[in-house]
Amino acid sequence: MPDGFIVTAIKSFVLVNLVMVMFAFMTWFERRLIGRFQVRLGPNRVGPFGLLQPIADLGKLIQKESLIPVGSSAFLYLVAPVISLFSALMVFSVVPFGGQATIPGTDYQIYLWIADPNVALLLVFALGSFSFYGFLVGGWSSSSKYSLYGSMRAVSQLVSYEVSLALAVIGVVMMSQTLSLTGIVDAQQRDGVWYIVPQFAGFVIYLLASTAEVSRIPFDLPEAEGELVAGYHTEYGGMRWAMFQNAEYIALIAFSALASILFLGGYDGPVLPGPLWMLIKMFIFLFLSIWVRSTLPRVRYDRLMTIGWKVLLPLATVNLLVTSAIVAYRA
Amino acid sequence: MLGDWAAVLVFAVIAMAIPLSLLFATFALDTRSKRRAGDKRIPFESGVSANEFHAHRFTISYYLTAMLFIVFDIEIVFLYPLALRMHALGMFGFAEMAVFIVLLAVAYVYVWRKGALEWR
Repeated sequence: MPDGFIVTAIKSFVLVNLVMVMFAFMTWFERRLIGRFQVRLGPNRVGPFGLLQPIADLGKLIQKESLIPVGSSAFLYLVAPVISLFSALMVFSVVPFGGQATIPGTDYQIYLWIADPNVALLLVFALGSFSFYGFLVGGWSSSSKYSLYGSMRAVSQLVSYEVSLALAVIGVVMMSQTLSLTGIVDAQQRDGVWYIVPQFAGFVIYLLASTAEVSRIPFDLPEAEGELVAGYHTEYGGMRWAMFQNAEYIALIAFSALASILFLGGYDGPVLPGPLWMLIKMFIFLFLSIWVRSTLPRVRYDRLMTIGWKVLLPLATVNLLVTSAIVAYRA
Repeated sequence: MLGDWAAVLVFAVIAMAIPLSLLFATFALDTRSKRRAGDKRIPFESGVSANEFHAHRFTISYYLTAMLFIVFDIEIVFLYPLALRMHALGMFGFAEMAVFIVLLAVAYVYVWRKGALEWR
């Protein structure tokens, strides 16, 4: 372990809770902002500016009746939200929020990441694929047709866009010559340019595909409430439903963090300290996602598949070929 | 290097505590009596309520999409190691990748012409 067992455990505990706080803040931020976009106030009663709204929601949701639908398989029904939330949280085990830092008052050095394995990017994609099981198991085990159709839609949407997402990121890997996330940040400092400039096509594909991966509008087909009630979590209520929502938001935060690292130089930036830069860059992507959500309508399912397989996949492949030609020519 | 994976494991144990404690809380803190749940436990349905477990049918297109995903995703997994060494392999590496992608493109065009990418 880079920091020893006890420090790693403390860091993990702090980071997991920070991510949960970020999620709580994100729900508040999104509701306030969407309120503003729609010329209304948004939640402003609980606490200053409604800041305590997430805590009130937690208190409400946790007291809800815990029902298990008739005819469902109870174990799978309960395990599905756990899989979703766990795999979303796990991404943060390899996300670097900065280089090294000294604890104030002492001269003890810690790393601002939990772990930095040399295949961190592969681990992120593996965890992304692992979260499919949460949707699939949850939708199948609820024994409702809306849940089943929702989960089928969710999984086939996610696998379709996973292909373009993985292809778009290969361009960055080729330029940075590493799969380690701190290595990619270092490579951008070495090359003297954030990869959003040479990999702009890859960035656009990444942004579209990651929006689909976290099923946000305009790609929120898995829970199209007009046709599927609520998709794969139709039969879930209270905190178990909230765990699915939680997983979705945390995946969104994780993809924002990943976008900042891959394309915007991660914790690299002038004047301000590294972690602050990282948060600012993540915030840009989170804001963008909320903005898009309140602007665009939902796409139709066949269009979604066409965008994924017939537009993004060829585009990502061309981007890959051009990048590899340039990298090979320079070598 | 192994140490990094040990750190991931420590994080995994601590991260697992969050969903498990939330799941436990749904049982420990719910406020209603379960005896009066009644029809609320029946899966939501517009129209006649189904009582027993149904393995519903679903469109073959979902299955087809999964097959396509497996084909293309495995190709991508092969591309990652090549991409990592591209700077060292130079034009040879580019030629290799071009051949690989042309082969992939043949399969892609075939799948497209066969209509497997149309959503039905």
